[in-house]
Amino acid sequence: MATQDTASQATPTARDRLRFVRQSVSHRLPNAGEGLVGYLFLLPALLVFTVFLGFPILYTLYLSFFRFEGVSNETVFWFDLGFFSYELTRIADLTFVGLNNYTALLSDSLFHQALFNTTFILLVQVPLMVALALVFAVALNASFVRFKGVFRTVLALPVSANLVAYSTVFLLMMQDAGLVNYVLTSVGLPAIPWLTSSFWSRMTIVGAVTWRWTGYNMIILLAGLQTVPQQLYEAAEIDGASRFEKFRYVTIPQLRPVLLFVVVTSTIGTFKLFSEPVIINGGGAPLDSTITIVQYIYQTAFIDFRLGYASALTYVLIAVVSLLSAVQLNVGGEGDA
Amino acid sequence: MREETRREAVWQFLAYAFILLGAVLTLVPLYWIFVASTLDEQEFLSTTEPRLIPGDSFLQNFESLQARGNVQFVGHPGEMTQYVDFGFGYVYYDVWHLWDLGALESSIFVAVVYTLLSLVLCSMAGFAFAKYEFRFKKPMFYAILATLILPIQLLVIPLFLLMSQIGLTNSYWAIILPWAANPLGIFLMRQNMRSIPDALLESARMDGATEFQLYYKIALPTMKSSLAALAIILFLFQWNLFLFPLVILEQGKYTIPVAINQLVGAQRVYYDQIMVAATLSIIPIVVLFLVLQKQFVSGILAGSVKE
Repeated sequence: MATQDTASQATPTARDRLRFVRQSVSHRLPNAGEGLVGYLFLLPALLVFTVFLGFPILYTLYLSFFRFEGVSNETVFWFDLGFFSYELTRIADLTFVGLNNYTALLSDSLFHQALFNTTFILLVQVPLMVALALVFAVALNASFVRFKGVFRTVLALPVSANLVAYSTVFLLMMQDAGLVNYVLTSVGLPAIPWLTSSFWSRMTIVGAVTWRWTGYNMIILLAGLQTVPQQLYEAAEIDGASRFEKFRYVTIPQLRPVLLFVVVTSTIGTFKLFSEPVIINGGGAPLDSTITIVQYIYQTAFIDFRLGYASALTYVLIAVVSLLSAVQLNVGGEGDA
Repeated sequence: MREETRREAVWQFLAYAFILLGAVLTLVPLYWIFVASTLDEQEFLSTTEPRLIPGDSFLQNFESLQARGNVQFVGHPGEMTQYVDFGFGYVYYDVWHLWDLGALESSIFVAVVYTLLSLVLCSMAGFAFAKYEFRFKKPMFYAILATLILPIQLLVIPLFLLMSQIGLTNSYWAIILPWAANPLGIFLMRQNMRSIPDALLESARMDGATEFQLYYKIALPTMKSSLAALAIILFLFQWNLFLFPLVILEQGKYTIPVAINQLVGAQRVYYDQIMVAATLSIIPIVVLFLVLQKQFVSGILAGSVKE
């Protein structure tokens, strides 16, 4: 790499000029960080990543074309050096079924119900939470607000609450005679069937997840706000921009990468929803109206022991979420950045 | 001018009102967990009206939590049987048995080691993706991004089989290593490190800085607030990890979520003990927030380079 660079500097060819133009277009200085260095920085993460995530992910794909018949004890490969021996056993007994697991998905009504529930929760929860987190972050970033540290800590606390404990608390609060309905009825509003109506039970999940994750996303946005150059606000002030205009034309564009991060990870988080519906709604009640995809996958894998079918479900979920993330990243302007 | 100050006052009022409302709504369920932890279980379950005043059964509940034979929540001094005889006296050397870890200490230990390891891996990878050009950069980045969507629940079986093949079952490494190269962390670091001006790195290069110095002398210090945010994310991720520790760890090594889950029995849910454990498990997080608080300073990159 290095020798090529020095040679090309002596006699610039058309290809070098083209490269230079391309680099200037992408706002990068020539020679800035090229070649092996990037790989070296990436190596430790990549190594861990390949062994502990790459293998399980690919093995899950492999499983999705098979029917699981049980755990295997059959030795695939072994050696014995006396002082050191190694035995690799086959992981599972499997029967090849081709695409059957995937075709079965098309007529699985419970899967469709789970997909609908998750999408419904997603469409309400993610915009609500991101908007709230953004407003909190901007408000807490304002220079006049006092006790910032206290508020920041308080708002970010829910995510530290234990999953089992907080779900139990929401279960108790949302009872027909629970705290929330007590407050509602005492100010003259009708009580709401939070856990027994299919619409409101989804809203309970939305509320619980929003309560837990808003502060967390606010922290991320707040960190992003710190990297917005102060000069941009000063320039906007000189141009007589109002508070809202500064928010709209400085904060939002500057925050776009981080905002995008929050939207994408929240969407993904909603698709991974599992423990809350299990504890709060007792595994999908009422009438499977809150069963989520991951919960369904979990049931299929660990209760019915249909690991092959569960793996196929996983891969469909991966496809759906990848597609959605790709769309969000493109709409959010990652493509041209 | 007066119009402007009035408008400013309205904004300030709105901001405060919003933040206060949010803080109150956030604290209610948390406060409830706390109150429940101080009440006798019967007392807590029998009242339909919300209780706002803490009771005095906290220690009693904590004792009943600690008295459970199978799961130790807070550890205790260990029995040290290993020592060196110097002739003039004994010196104990087996530090690992000075204190038998309970679930609380286990969780803290695992989360701290995981956070430090992962911060290094993620920031290095993020720096590579943000500031270097190399072959297969985009495909690799999108491959890592794609793994964000994997429900961890589903990796449990292949991961367990993998861990047993390499002899890491019932080891804390088994719950630290798999997500050490956290895709979320890599994504976050990459997004934030893009804001480091290329000109800044280039001028450091001209001054003779090595590529690794660019990383730890320029990239890391400018990313302090992002690193602090990421540290919180990573710590909480490990803190809340549930299903895989449940599968891979055996009794005596349980982390908090697994330990608390032991309190939800098929016949009986130990509300009082759950709430005590939950209350105690929030304390380390508050400490973490307070420690990292200072890192959230504004305008680090401002004025580093004249554009």
